[in-house]
Amino acid sequence: MEILSFEETRRLLLKYKLPFCRTEIFNSKDKASVFAEKIGFPVVLKIHAQKIFHKSEIGGVVTNIRNREEFEKAWDGIEKNIRGKNIEGMLVQEMRGGSEIALGMKRDPQFGPVLLFGLGGIFIEIIKDVSLRVAPISREEALAMIKETKGAKILEGARGRKKADLEIIADMLVNLSNLSIKEDKIQSIDFNPVMVEGDKACIADFRIIV
Amino acid sequence: MKKIFNPKSIVLIGASDEKNTVGFGLADNLLKGKSKIFFVNPFKKEILGEDCFKSVSEIKEKIDLALIAVPQKVVKGVVKECCAKKVGAMIIVSSGFKESGNTKEEEEIVEMVKKAKIPLIGPNCLGIINPSIGLNASFAPLTPKAGNIAFLSQSGALLDSVLGMSEDEDMGFSKVVSYGNEADLGLIDFLDYLKDDPETKVIVVYFEGLKDGRKFMETAREVVKSKPIVMIKSGRTEKGKSAVATHTGTLAGDYDTYIAAMKQCGVILVDTMEELFDSAKALAFLPRMDNGIGIVTNGGGLGVLTVDYCAEIGIQVPDLSNATLSLLEKKKEMGKVPVKRNPLDLIGDALADRYGAGMDILLRQKDVNGLIVISTPQIMTEHEKNARMIVEMKEKYPLKPIICCFLGGPLVSSAVKILEDNDIPNYPDVLRAVKSIKSLIK
Repeated sequence: MEILSFEETRRLLLKYKLPFCRTEIFNSKDKASVFAEKIGFPVVLKIHAQKIFHKSEIGGVVTNIRNREEFEKAWDGIEKNIRGKNIEGMLVQEMRGGSEIALGMKRDPQFGPVLLFGLGGIFIEIIKDVSLRVAPISREEALAMIKETKGAKILEGARGRKKADLEIIADMLVNLSNLSIKEDKIQSIDFNPVMVEGDKACIADFRIIV
Repeated sequence: MKKIFNPKSIVLIGASDEKNTVGFGLADNLLKGKSKIFFVNPFKKEILGEDCFKSVSEIKEKIDLALIAVPQKVVKGVVKECCAKKVGAMIIVSSGFKESGNTKEEEEIVEMVKKAKIPLIGPNCLGIINPSIGLNASFAPLTPKAGNIAFLSQSGALLDSVLGMSEDEDMGFSKVVSYGNEADLGLIDFLDYLKDDPETKVIVVYFEGLKDGRKFMETAREVVKSKPIVMIKSGRTEKGKSAVATHTGTLAGDYDTYIAAMKQCGVILVDTMEELFDSAKALAFLPRMDNGIGIVTNGGGLGVLTVDYCAEIGIQVPDLSNATLSLLEKKKEMGKVPVKRNPLDLIGDALADRYGAGMDILLRQKDVNGLIVISTPQIMTEHEKNARMIVEMKEKYPLKPIICCFLGGPLVSSAVKILEDNDIPNYPDVLRAVKSIKSLIK
């Protein structure tokens, strides 16, 4: 069981039209910071490794990096934290706002690919407000899946929150469904969080396990 | 399949005359039916007054069904003989196969029957029952009443309890199958068969696991188009082994996945044995309906509680239309009823005529697709008359199911009997009534 490489992940996300936040992988601090400046601060810096499943727990993630100085400090800090560990590289990623949602898939021994939808953050961690479906699913089913969660009202703009477009999330679920049916070597997928703002969505954190 | 459930001739290998043995239980049950029965036991000349054969090959007549209840060690040999005899089908009651790690021998048996093209039920099962023809090819302690519920069970012992309980619940069965290890025929095959079985109206399943979840979903989707399937699963709390590494793995626990899958293919998954019975009864007695019910009660509190439960589990309780309201206003029986709404509280002193008028007017409203009728025992309440009034309504509105909640133990038992004799289910608890009507919603 290992995490799919960044290049393979990117290839799959593009192939199945799953939008992700602008991200590049680097092994050189200088090149990485040039890229960070190019996409504009603030950025996120995090490791990508085949065998590290919980990267923030070992100090492998720094968010909200506001300038070049902070970036270099973050790079050095992470390097220190993961000393001795084998990683593929460091990801530099744009930071996007919006509502956090989570999409996922696990391959069940009985039913095959099972899709998951939930609101990100505390909704998924603490109150486990998620809905599940056995793939494949239609677009209608995807919408029903979103609306089934208690948190759906938050996405629909409850209490003056910015509205997130459920249609774009439904599209992503259908695309994830297609991916999980066709790519049968993939054991599980976690996209958490996915940032949704209006009709724009992008996967911020991805973990595809093969 | 047809031969399995309607065999002209049956051989029981491992018949016994020693009470408290499986071989005796089977023999005793078989003799109560109409099929021609042959007993095989190499150590006996006669069992329960019937001649006993040394082996299957000694029997000259054609055999439709062979029941095998011999010690595990000799099962394979007996299967071989049955294959040579070209029996129509086999049921292996004996245990000691896959369930206890003996996979190899089970696979060898499957290979033999497949080659001989003979369908097999079991091993490790209780057998089958077809009450309408008096066939009890099982060692269940009784033959249940004939009816329109098919019951499939992965567990034998649980099936016994269910059959026992069904006596009190006034439930009848079309087919009963304990399907054991599913070495050859399994749940999917039986569902497929029951889909076109004219005696079956609802299919009830107790299961521990599925052999092929996706294939099951495919079959269930087809079956539920014509017949509802109600299922209960045991072993819900075990967590998937792959759960450790991922969020989805942890959150999509095994049972959660079952819940999602069953919902997707239209199967009603229930939590308790009580719900299994309750919804089976409703589905066996009543037609299915669209969402939207009326509630008629002589106790305000219970009416409101019923509305609460409905809201919690997604049953609509529509407002009364202007047409309905004006009908209620005009009806003289409704004169004393202060508030006309859904739930319709007829208030404590309601007699049967007020019940009748209230039910009739509510059922006339288009989006009232079914009714829950609550009757609490006030000193003046006419339980039996109320029950008869409900029977009348059932006849007047045959497409709108009525479920009752006559509460009051022995005070209402004679009324409940009238209801149940007319296939109107009564539940002594409003939540049970609400959950049962939910299972009727298409």
